[in-house]
Amino acid sequence: MTMETAKRIVSLLLQRGVLIAVFLLLWWYAAVQLPSFVLPGPERVFSALVGLVHSVTFLHDLGATMGRVFSGFVLATLIGTPLGLALGSSRALARFFEPILAVLNTVSSAIWAIFAIIWFGISDATTIFVVFMTAMPLILTNVWQGAQTVERQFIDLARSFRMSRWQVLVKISLPSILPYFFSGARLAFGFGWRVSLVAETLGASDGIGYRLRQAADLVQSDQVFAWTLLLVALMLLLEAGVLKPLERWLFRWKTPSR
Amino acid sequence: MNAPSSLALAVPALSLKDIGKHFDGLEALRGISLDVAKGEIVALLGTSGCGKSTLLNIVSGLLPADRGELRIDGQPAASFRDWRRIAYMFQEDRLLPWRSIRANVAFGLEAERSRRAERIVKAEQALRLVELDGFARAWPHQLSGGMRSRVALARSLVVEPQILLMDEPFSKLDPQTRAQMHQELLRLQRFKNITVVFVTHDVEEAVVLADRVVVLEPRPGRIRAIKPLDLPRPRIPTDLAVSEQVRQLRMAL
Repeated sequence: MTMETAKRIVSLLLQRGVLIAVFLLLWWYAAVQLPSFVLPGPERVFSALVGLVHSVTFLHDLGATMGRVFSGFVLATLIGTPLGLALGSSRALARFFEPILAVLNTVSSAIWAIFAIIWFGISDATTIFVVFMTAMPLILTNVWQGAQTVERQFIDLARSFRMSRWQVLVKISLPSILPYFFSGARLAFGFGWRVSLVAETLGASDGIGYRLRQAADLVQSDQVFAWTLLLVALMLLLEAGVLKPLERWLFRWKTPSR
Repeated sequence: MNAPSSLALAVPALSLKDIGKHFDGLEALRGISLDVAKGEIVALLGTSGCGKSTLLNIVSGLLPADRGELRIDGQPAASFRDWRRIAYMFQEDRLLPWRSIRANVAFGLEAERSRRAERIVKAEQALRLVELDGFARAWPHQLSGGMRSRVALARSLVVEPQILLMDEPFSKLDPQTRAQMHQELLRLQRFKNITVVFVTHDVEEAVVLADRVVVLEPRPGRIRAIKPLDLPRPRIPTDLAVSEQVRQLRMAL
C-alpha cells in the first residue's frame, strides 16, 4: 500500500466516524425532547438490540426471513433467466410479451402481498411469492437486455470453431450477459429483501417482519428501532463482505477505467 | 513451383470447381474454379463487393454454395468430417474480453472433447510460438493491437489446422505492426506447412505473402486472372522486383 492510499483510508475513516458521532448526537438530543414511544434514545435502542440478539427466537426469525428471501430470489433467478434469454433470442417473442412485463412492473408489492394472503394464507409461500413477483421481472428485464448485447462477432467466432448451439450459449452468451444479470440480481435481491418484510407483517407468524409488527402493536418502539439498525447493518455487511468482492472478482477482466 | 511431384501429395488441399452463389436473387459468385496445393499461400485480391469474403466463407464450410463442387484433401465437402482442422481468422482479433490470454487461445480447443490440462499445455505451446508466453495470464485489454493479433493467430494455430483461412486479418493494424505480423505468419506457415488462403484488398500485402494471387472482379464475383509470384523471400515492399509486381497487379485490378 502506498502512502497516498493509506492517507485516503484514514481520512475516509475519520469522515465516517464524524458522521456517526453527529448522527448519534442529533438522535440523542431529539430523543430527550420527545416521548420515548415516539423516539427512543440510543442507549435504550442498544439495550433492546442486545436483548433481541440474546432472545430465544432471534436466530429462528432471522433464519425464517432469510430462507424466504433466498427461496424467492432463487426461484426468480431460475425462472427469470431462461425467460430473459428466450425473449432476447426472439424479437417476435419479445414484442408479444412486452406488455405483460410492463404490467408486472407496475403492480405494487403490497398488492402482491394481499393476493398472496388470499391464495396462500399465513405461510412461507406468501412471502416467497411476494419476493418472487418483485425480483423475477427485474432479473428477466436485465437478462433480456444483456441478451440483446451479445456480440454477433463472438458467436461467429464460436461457429467458426464448429461449436454447438449449447456451447455458444455457455461460452459466449452467458458470459456476455453476466454483468447485466449481476446488476439485475443485485437490484432484485435488495427489493426482494425489503418487500419480504412487508409480506411478513401481513402474512407470517414468524420472521423479522412479523416481529416488527408485533413490536409496533405493543408500542415497543425501541424494538422496532433495534430491528431497523440490525437490518441496516446486515445489508451493509452483505454488500461489503459478499457482493462487492464477488463483483470485483467476476468482472476483474474489465478495464480499470470503467 | 515448390510442390514435390509425388503422387500422394499431388492431391490439392483445396479444390473448387465452378462455384456459384446467389443472395436474394443477386449473383455474388460465378464459375469460380481454383486448386490450392498443400502448403501453398493464395491471396484472393479484389475490390469490395467482388465476393471474396463470400468465397472464403464457402471454403470454410460455414456458407453452402448454390452450385459447383468443393473438395478438401480430395474429399467432397459433403463427406468431409474434419472441419475443425480448417481455421478461420477474422478481420478483428475477436478476443473474448472475459477470458485470459491463455483461455482465449484454448477456446479453439473447447469445441472438441478434451482434457483441460491438455488444452492448457497446447495453449501455452501456441503462445510460445507467437512469443507471448509471458502473457498467458493477462487480460486482452492489457495488450496492444499487435499482441492481440498474435493471440488471435495463436488461437487459430492451436487446433493444428491443415488450412488457414484469413479474412483481411491484419487490416486493422498500423503498417509497421502489420509488416511484423506478415513475417510472423510466414515463419509459422513454413514451420507447420499450413495451406493459407487469405482475402485482401491490399495489393502489397498480397505480393509480400502469396505464392499465387487470384484477382477477382465484381458483379458477379469471378476470377479475372491468376498470377503466380516467383519472387524470393523475404519480400521487402521497397525492393524493386516486389514493387514492380505490385505495380503490375494494380494495373490488372
